[in-house]
Amino acid sequence: MTLPTLPLPREWELPFDPPPELALLRRTEPVVRVACPTGIDAWLVCDYAGVREVLGDGRRFSARPGQVAHALKSFDPHSPVDGQFSRLDGAEHIRIRRNFAPQLSHARRLDELRPLVRQITDEAIDRLLASSPPVELHVTFSRWITTAVIAELIGVPPADRHLLHAAAQALFDTNTSPEQLQVALTPLFGYLYGLVGARRADPGDDVLSRMIVHSADSDRPLTDDELVMMNGALLIAGFDTTASLLSHGLVALLSMPAEWDKLCADPSLAPSAAEELVRYLGVGVGLLREATEDTVLGGQQIKAGDYVVAAVQSANRDPALYPDGDRLDVTRQPGAHIGFGHGAHTCVGQQIARMELITVLGALATRVPSLRLAVPLSGIAFKRDTVVRGPASLPVTWR
Amino acid sequence: MRIAVEDGLCIGAGNCALTAPAVFDQDPAEAVVVLLDPAPPESEREAVELAVQRCPAAVIHLLS
Repeated sequence: MTLPTLPLPREWELPFDPPPELALLRRTEPVVRVACPTGIDAWLVCDYAGVREVLGDGRRFSARPGQVAHALKSFDPHSPVDGQFSRLDGAEHIRIRRNFAPQLSHARRLDELRPLVRQITDEAIDRLLASSPPVELHVTFSRWITTAVIAELIGVPPADRHLLHAAAQALFDTNTSPEQLQVALTPLFGYLYGLVGARRADPGDDVLSRMIVHSADSDRPLTDDELVMMNGALLIAGFDTTASLLSHGLVALLSMPAEWDKLCADPSLAPSAAEELVRYLGVGVGLLREATEDTVLGGQQIKAGDYVVAAVQSANRDPALYPDGDRLDVTRQPGAHIGFGHGAHTCVGQQIARMELITVLGALATRVPSLRLAVPLSGIAFKRDTVVRGPASLPVTWR
Repeated sequence: MRIAVEDGLCIGAGNCALTAPAVFDQDPAEAVVVLLDPAPPESEREAVELAVQRCPAAVIHLLS
């Protein structure tokens, strides 16, 4: 019997919604066997309770195959983990997270970082307002801001930031082969080994230096390989995912003017608007896990070694979470959505991403309330062949 | 209301300290959860319940 194919987002048909098949499955068969585009078969789980259960239980559902090996041909779920922290489980993974967390998700550290994000955002909006509309906003604004933030945090000067863009392009493209990926990552990783050496010799106040200093006092200091992998992941994922969510979110807000107008009338709604966009749009391709033991999920018998795709965006639309979850509502009281993932592997940069989204949405609503799409929604080109979803370009205008 | 935390599994995501800052803090070294008040007043219940739901590592337990 041929398995049904894993439904993936089709923004060119439905710009903001998960594939409609998932809403049906959520009601009728929330755990179902599918064939993934990379050639593996998996259980697809698409209801809120099921997705939360899978992502929240790293003991029964390992991250070992790689978060998106169901969608990226460059990821081999059988390959050695080789220290990739996104594929570690248990105590080994917690060790890495505790080297990230003080730099990226400590509440008081976030207060220190807020002025940097404000300054970069203000600079981007100054430049935007000095240009004449229409302009393209995704590359020149969203991606510029998120690149500047993560690069400033880690201390990568403007002249070297093209290395991030080239690496992300290859990493997130669903058609990149494993060999092509190695080649594409080499320039950034080579650069980062140099940066680790320089910061070991002469530490500054950047995230990389702080990681080096912080871990030096621990039982098992971070190795050069670990530092390169951790900072490489931050640099690559840190700009592209946040920029794409921001641009995708702006398309949504500007094509639903009632929501944009609410935000402009009261820019203090920026935190709930940002949270709502993450819930509404986050992780459209889902996350992959592997069962570590024979178990039951949503009434289905799962065998040890079976893959499970957790459909995060569908889970966040589950009426069990919000009865009107398919509606975008910038005034929605932020609740327990899992748009940054859930469990031990939840997005490591989520507090920085939140800060960027809140700052940029609040600043745009305050300074450019006349912002509009420069083309009809049907004229927005969405990226294809990528796991980081969003518009390829975002033409806007203002008065 | 009584609360307990299992800080051994905490990943320092910060959601608790950002959601219910009167009840949760993070230690400066590893950003791991610090329980400021194991028996907070009822006025904190809504924030604490949200913090429990938002904890990715499920290490905060509402005991009563």
